[in-house]
Amino acid sequence: MSLWERTPERRRATAWPPAEPPGAAVAVTAADEGGGLRPGTLHRGVSGVDRGPVPMSAEQFDGLRDPMARVFFRRGRWPMTLEEVLDGLAEAGELPAQSVYLIGEAGQIPPHEAPGLRRDFRFAITRAEPGKDADLLVSSDPGSVFLQVAAWDPQARVFNYYMRISPAWVWTGDSWSALAPRSRGKGCFDSHVNGSVVMKELKQPWSNWQSMSATIQLAPDDPLRDNPLYRQVIGAERLELTVKGLVSRWTAARLSTVVTDGVVTHPDRLLRQLLTSTTVNLASTSVQSATVAASGQDLVLPLGFWLNADALLNDLGLPVGAANAPSAPASLYADSVAAFGFRMEERVSGFTRPGDTFFAFMVPEAAYEDNDVVRQAVERGLVPARFAACALMVDFSEPVFSPVRAHLMRYVPTAPVPVSTWCADIAAAVVDAARTLPADSPEAEFARNWAVPEAEWPEVFARRVDAYLEKVAARIRTASGFDDCVRLAESRRRTFKEMRLNEFALTLPTTDIPADAPRLRMHEDGTVGEATSGGSP
Amino acid sequence: MTTISAYGPPGRLTDLDDAGRQAWHVFISDSVDEAITGPDPAEVLHNSPRPQFYNLTRTDTAEDAVRAAVTWTAFPNRLRSAISDRQRWQRADASRDVQDEYCEWSVTRDDSGKITRVTFTCEGPEYWDVLARTDPDKVLDLYRAHIGPAVRRSDLFGPDGRYVRRNKWNDSTTQGAMHLIQQSNTLGAEIELAAAATIRRVVGGRELTGAQELIACAKYGVPDRNSDPHIGEVVNSVARQKADIALSDPVGIYFDDLATDGWSTPDGSDPKSFWRFERGDTDVPVRAVYEVPGDRDFTVGDITIAGRPIEFGAQITDFVTVKLTATACRIGLSTAPPQTACVELAAGDDVTPGAFSPGTFSAQGYLGSRPDQAPRSTRLVA
Repeated sequence: MSLWERTPERRRATAWPPAEPPGAAVAVTAADEGGGLRPGTLHRGVSGVDRGPVPMSAEQFDGLRDPMARVFFRRGRWPMTLEEVLDGLAEAGELPAQSVYLIGEAGQIPPHEAPGLRRDFRFAITRAEPGKDADLLVSSDPGSVFLQVAAWDPQARVFNYYMRISPAWVWTGDSWSALAPRSRGKGCFDSHVNGSVVMKELKQPWSNWQSMSATIQLAPDDPLRDNPLYRQVIGAERLELTVKGLVSRWTAARLSTVVTDGVVTHPDRLLRQLLTSTTVNLASTSVQSATVAASGQDLVLPLGFWLNADALLNDLGLPVGAANAPSAPASLYADSVAAFGFRMEERVSGFTRPGDTFFAFMVPEAAYEDNDVVRQAVERGLVPARFAACALMVDFSEPVFSPVRAHLMRYVPTAPVPVSTWCADIAAAVVDAARTLPADSPEAEFARNWAVPEAEWPEVFARRVDAYLEKVAARIRTASGFDDCVRLAESRRRTFKEMRLNEFALTLPTTDIPADAPRLRMHEDGTVGEATSGGSP
Repeated sequence: MTTISAYGPPGRLTDLDDAGRQAWHVFISDSVDEAITGPDPAEVLHNSPRPQFYNLTRTDTAEDAVRAAVTWTAFPNRLRSAISDRQRWQRADASRDVQDEYCEWSVTRDDSGKITRVTFTCEGPEYWDVLARTDPDKVLDLYRAHIGPAVRRSDLFGPDGRYVRRNKWNDSTTQGAMHLIQQSNTLGAEIELAAAATIRRVVGGRELTGAQELIACAKYGVPDRNSDPHIGEVVNSVARQKADIALSDPVGIYFDDLATDGWSTPDGSDPKSFWRFERGDTDVPVRAVYEVPGDRDFTVGDITIAGRPIEFGAQITDFVTVKLTATACRIGLSTAPPQTACVELAAGDDVTPGAFSPGTFSAQGYLGSRPDQAPRSTRLVA
């Protein structure tokens, strides 16, 4: 078990299976491999790499140039609470622009309706030079039970990740650690999957965050009201802009190094963010689920449920003609919540409450950080726009967790390839393979896309998207069509729930759909069927 | 324990003469009073009075007072369902009538179509009505200073001498934006919304707390805006703490911030340095311009956001936040009972409390929106 999982000084992940029997969680002690944690010492403990936290070498320590290292560690200062971190920055005159955000998966459940439910509110705090991108992000709780920091090193151009494990601080890796095979997906990189900062509920209505779409509810006597940081909380609409900017900063730094002497050093690491869902964001309607009445306005379902609109329409610019995202009669949604037994459930506490998430119809969608890699790779000429579009149009009606697109990863080399021809070479290999494979194979679908002339692909692909959206828009106005989409949404949520990114039981709803129900997929003709590895009909 | 002597002009602007300042105070004070009273219960059920809302000139602000800003994004929420960013930016830039988040803007382009300047305003139209009645020359001067020297008096005033809010220099997204004109973007609407939201709603034994359920029940604004549900939710959350609430002086909508995360300029300069306020005090600005100085060899259209050049004013608006500020005091002391039902409007009712009434000027000055009740001590005496 990794250090990250073993320490009690982390968020209470109510969706994770218990790591140890109750009462077995213990602080890291001298008995740990590596000799334990020494006060006043920066340790390193990269999950998958280090067998235990060990004092960081002087050479590595001297190389850290992020604000946490500069303001604290290199000056022999070891803040043990959130307040000590913030006060220390203030005393040093560093990063004076502070923004405070608040999140809690139970934040919209009225306290008096569930007095025994732990609220587990968390602060996210950014610090920046005025007018500049944030250089420090702190995640903690009002009691500083856990304290984690992502700090930008302007020289190394990486985020360094730190966590306090009393009585010391541990460097748990940097952005590159997220991409390295030994540490990928481990420790803090189970959520910082590609090395950047994370905000799962990135878009409006920023579910679970305090925002202009929803204010977190506190009991009248909640001690949080007296917390000075609580009084500084601003809306998550601002944090969305910050996080997007920081993701792009890391993407730019990373992509500036991927080509050496005319070769792409790790082509698979780049293209897995085109062909697979390395992670996801969570999207929902902006409608409070409890207010959806049968006679109410149509419900505009999140566009990311239908396709990767951010990549295809916004970044690659497919000139679609559709005017608005598909919407469904409110009555169908209201009926489905009852028919499928939607409820919010936290097994660890025994809490259960009928209904959907606070904002209706929450689903995983393509991750901003995946799309940002594709966007910047195209802008830099690393990946031709046509190649990216042809790949994304494979099984495009499955914007996340598509085994069809993922199948194409087998044609992506892991060894260095010449930047001038690598995408064309991959395309040629796929097209060549398609000659002997069925017409519904992923290879054949890509080959059909690739056969569209360079000058025509935007319009051709846009027409396909328009035709698809027209079909699903019609289908979700029928009871059976909408129910299919509810099942599909639940199927995707269950895939998400298998990820370590799913930390909290109240992030997503539970339904009566059988646990062994087959995983589903959306076809380009607007029908929903069982997931296969084949292409779209 | 204090009261203020008079409501000041929005943004602490200094355009108004004494008569104008007095008229402005009367307008705000009357609007607040009307909002406290609420609509006639014979015409609108369960929406009056609003005893937790108070007038800063008549009721003390207690020593436990706290001020809080309510902020929201200036891009119109109603356009969020567009299929792509480009579509929603095009739509938002196409008409002032869709710019309904108390922020409107106008885009200036060069001969090649590249954006050179975007002007934003959050000035309520009522202020300009008052200014036009008390100092029409000042109105013309301000238009010429901020819109252009080609503005003529006859462009701004009708044959009867009345100021035309939607004049040729203030009714488009390309010819300039002097003040708000979208029909929901009025200070009267802001005041009424804030007052109505102070009513706690316990319906069917459950206290309403969500932004959308509150606005659906209390009918105090437009549900699909960023602003109205959010303002209502925040105000109501304070009301649930049994506090008295007022809109802080000077009452108005103000620019909060421009975020520039992910922006990039051709010369590496700070993209935020091109954002400047043209009207209003530092903490309460009401007019902003985004423009690159002429001594640089690039324009707004050369700046990128997330790698994409700025082609629409709305791209900037995604990063603009606007705000109002409220004051709460006597926290925990209010004994006002909640309403136990939602608002019901009588057929044909058309409630527009707080609307400015240009026709109610008289020889005695501005008579407020209820001239039948004039004169009162707050009235201007010539």
